Amino acid sequence: MRRSTLFLQALAAAAGFALFVAASPAMSADAPSDAAAKKDLVLRGDAKCTRCHDEGDDYPVLAIGKTRHGTVADGRTPSCTNCHGPSEAHLAGGGTGGHRPSPDVLFRGAGKSAADKQNGQCLGCHNSDAKRTHWAGSMHEARGLACTNCHQVHTGHDAVRDKRTQPEVCFNCHKEQRTKIDKPSHHPIPEGKMACSDCHNPHGSTGPSLMKRDSINDTCYTCHMEKRGPFVHNHEPVSENCANCHDPHGTTAENLLKARPPFLCHQCHTPHGGQIGQIVGQGQQARIGGQAPLLSPITSGKSGINYFMARGCTNCHTEVHGTNNPSTANPTPQFNFR
Amino acid sequence: MKAATRQSRFNRTLMALAMLPVFGPAWAQDPAVDALANPDHGSVSVGGAAVSGDSRDRSLFGQYNGLRKEDADLMLDFSWVKRDSATGTWAILEGRDLGLTTRELRGEYGPQGNWKVYGEYWELTRYYPRTINTSLQGAGTTTPIVSLLPAPGTGSDLDLKTERKRTTVGAVKRFGPHFLVEASFINEDKSGARLWGRGFTCPSAAAPTPTCTALASGANQWALLMVPEPISSTSKQFEAKASYLGEKFTVIGGYYGSFYDNDFGSLVPTVNGNLNNGLGVPMGTGGGVPLTAGLRGILQLPMALPPDNQAHQLSIDGNYAFTNTTRATFKYAYTHATQNESFANMGLTGAPPGRNDLGGRLDTTLAQAGLTSRPFPKLSLLANVRYENQDDKTPIDLYNIEGTTRWTNGHIGHKKSSGKAEASYLLPWGVRGTVGFDYEKIERSEIEATDVLGGISGVRQNTYEQGWRLEARKSMSDTFTGSVSWVSSRRSGSTWLKPLSDTATSPSGQPAGVMPADPDCASATVSGVANACIWSRTAIFPFIFEDRKRDKVKFLADWTPVEKVSLQLAVDYGNDDYSGPTEKGLDRQKYNLYSADFAYRFSDAVRLTAYHTSMAQTLQVAHSTGYIAQLRDENHTSGVGVIAQATPRLRLTGDVMYILDRNKYPTALDAGANAATQAQFGTGQLFIPDATFRDLRVKLTGAYALQKNADVKMEIVHDRTRLDEWQWGWNGVSFLYSDNTSVSLKPQQNVTYVSVVYTYRWR
Repeated sequence: MRRSTLFLQALAAAAGFALFVAASPAMSADAPSDAAAKKDLVLRGDAKCTRCHDEGDDYPVLAIGKTRHGTVADGRTPSCTNCHGPSEAHLAGGGTGGHRPSPDVLFRGAGKSAADKQNGQCLGCHNSDAKRTHWAGSMHEARGLACTNCHQVHTGHDAVRDKRTQPEVCFNCHKEQRTKIDKPSHHPIPEGKMACSDCHNPHGSTGPSLMKRDSINDTCYTCHMEKRGPFVHNHEPVSENCANCHDPHGTTAENLLKARPPFLCHQCHTPHGGQIGQIVGQGQQARIGGQAPLLSPITSGKSGINYFMARGCTNCHTEVHGTNNPSTANPTPQFNFR
Repeated sequence: MKAATRQSRFNRTLMALAMLPVFGPAWAQDPAVDALANPDHGSVSVGGAAVSGDSRDRSLFGQYNGLRKEDADLMLDFSWVKRDSATGTWAILEGRDLGLTTRELRGEYGPQGNWKVYGEYWELTRYYPRTINTSLQGAGTTTPIVSLLPAPGTGSDLDLKTERKRTTVGAVKRFGPHFLVEASFINEDKSGARLWGRGFTCPSAAAPTPTCTALASGANQWALLMVPEPISSTSKQFEAKASYLGEKFTVIGGYYGSFYDNDFGSLVPTVNGNLNNGLGVPMGTGGGVPLTAGLRGILQLPMALPPDNQAHQLSIDGNYAFTNTTRATFKYAYTHATQNESFANMGLTGAPPGRNDLGGRLDTTLAQAGLTSRPFPKLSLLANVRYENQDDKTPIDLYNIEGTTRWTNGHIGHKKSSGKAEASYLLPWGVRGTVGFDYEKIERSEIEATDVLGGISGVRQNTYEQGWRLEARKSMSDTFTGSVSWVSSRRSGSTWLKPLSDTATSPSGQPAGVMPADPDCASATVSGVANACIWSRTAIFPFIFEDRKRDKVKFLADWTPVEKVSLQLAVDYGNDDYSGPTEKGLDRQKYNLYSADFAYRFSDAVRLTAYHTSMAQTLQVAHSTGYIAQLRDENHTSGVGVIAQATPRLRLTGDVMYILDRNKYPTALDAGANAATQAQFGTGQLFIPDATFRDLRVKLTGAYALQKNADVKMEIVHDRTRLDEWQWGWNGVSFLYSDNTSVSLKPQQNVTYVSVVYTYRWR
């Protein structure tokens, strides 16, 4: 910035101020030159704050006007001091060592207030909200998270409220999920079509793991309702908890499975027996040591290749979430064949 | 506050203030402040994108982002926001990705604090990343036709996809400061097809002759078919809430209804001609016989598709502040879920006499209560209990058959009780120490005496888990915070129950269903009568019932040594040990994670971020008389990002991310494996290769302000992905279905994406 330009702008400002004095009869040499005489810029009563806190700050503040917090016509809209406290000492100045006392409630930077004090300011209004009824005692609250750990107020774009940018906010703490969402099998979070808050309510809920609904399954059913059943033939661990088999954050195995079949299925079921992990083209047709080949025109379909490759156990037991097939004819649908 | 920084911004505010008296006292009229603080704006972004390669090169990159199929796409976004300062009325209309199959449209209108209406339209297409080469006709219908391809790879390429189209409408209305009513309705149509299939092997106890055609002694015949699951369904969700929002007391009464409607009831494939045997040649070649009538008939039996279902929930929840430091939360909910779709409507036959539908009914009651309190400034307490009773009232009937023996279906309900108590105290040196206790009890529905538990060695009615938590958190200064926590829990359960194979229709005098078992003695059958012992070296017991020891340690530290630098370090460790009346099944799961994040602010104009995370998960699982596996997934993810305001008009960003995910499957062989497998395993030829996923993604963007209200943005993404897996083939040998259908994915996929978008804004 050239000094000449700055000078001209300062000169213009001074001229403007002079005009202001001339155009405002109420202003006289005897009128108080404190904040009351200055104009509010965005919120009611903000003049005493914005006389110093402007867009020149390290943390620009005026953008709050773009948000719900800046909608003055709504009588509930806070002023600066509703959130930051009356802060009389801060306004009066002084302090030791040339440092002005901090506002009563500071949300960031050196000397920021304790989390519960910060949150108390927000919850004064936001506690009365259907999404935050269970904040008290929730995991984030109990771990000392402040609202401003995730939310930005003095900005037109609060990153955590946009599903395209929300995950990055969550990943500040949740590193395991950051590594998982880019695996080949994943929910469309990196693509910006889903966000963490599509499944979780970070403000607290009655479900486990801050699920939006009352249980993991109920949350999954909001998009995968076809799995709800109940079915004629249920697969009980499915009904109990989708996370028994799936990791919704991302996996290398297809279909968000924690492990691919048969390794997954063999954590519950005693299978047909005798097979080692194998894939095609490993010489299964050969007779070794006089033993019958593992693969021939007449060997059983319950083979190592069929267990481990393609869809594994679900090559045959395809209705793995349950089947509504009532048939009492063989082969029974009871084993999720059909 | 840097002088240079102040200089660049100070001018705007200074000018704004100077202009105030000239243009009038109302701040909203001041253009400079208005630009900073007024949300009113409109913008249109239009441009184009081009993607290299073909749809197979983009199958992983374009799974969800609408960029797989077309080489070039229209990029179109718009946004319009208007707020009436006098009334606080917002009007918002936004559209994103309108030229892609991932388009979204959102609108909202209403005076803030009074009422609002909103609507949203959302599309998502998910392309299955693998390509299927097949001769299947009618893929995606309920009547596909299977026929043998003359040779693998000579069929038509089939790319499956599922499309979702969701519409949401809603409204909110406030009545005074304390009352709020809101309602929303979501309708989602889902269509397409997903990879599915069926298979069967004859002979089988599940399909004795004549269902399976009799074969020569020792001969088997089997087939695996790829038949996609057709999808055409609608799910609807309706939610309404009425809230009282008081100073101390908040209560919300709600209704949530969800409805699933499937246009399809069953899939009935037709199998024409012969199929291949396990060697990839037509059945009957080199042994055996062509596809028998019995197996063909089995493969052509109807397969049930998901039935229609509904659920209605009424709830009441809220909180009450006894004092400023003591607050309670509560919830009570009742859900009535049903599934009573007519079997006939689904095209399914053979139900027990007099049974037209399942009559499925699950009634769930949920009650939760929590209390938090700070009796002293340094001490915080919390307690929470939760009870859920899922009562399965589905009628029981003789649905199950194997050979000539019959059993009934069973119930899936449960009761879950859980609770936690926690105390947190501010210790000396600014350390906040927390100790907590958790418990969970699951009581599952009693096993129907007439039900059979197929493929299960044992079950437990109830499991109990208790855990302790210790945590220390310290804010050493405003620039350093750290926390370390340790969680340990132990799960046990009620008496193991041994499944019996007695029948519902011809009991032999033995107990039916299940019997209480002794886990410490070996299972045996004496004179055809099963004893009460359940231990078996080779049986697998479901891990959800087994005893479990769980331990987790987490460490997280944030440090800002100087204003420009921030560092974060995270270390996680977890271990689950399982034990049951066996040596097989899931034995152990372990994971560890190390992560470091770094951010450096060169100046207000230039910022750098970098991170690296290494994570490893291991799983020890053993097949009954087959493999003993120590699965291991190692993941390393690194990223570097730069944001630079290169000039007042030009903003540049660069991101590089690299992922290396390696899944290892080392296996040994159980001594009880059959002789043929032992012989083959001894050659070293039988093994599972690693499955490896690598992804290098470079993303560069440049946004140049052509003028104050218009800019052009260019984005270049280069993505190099490699997925080496053995699921569908390995080393040039494909897994083949019995009709020579094959499934493949191009292992190395390199994609370059370039988009140029012009944005015009107005106020």
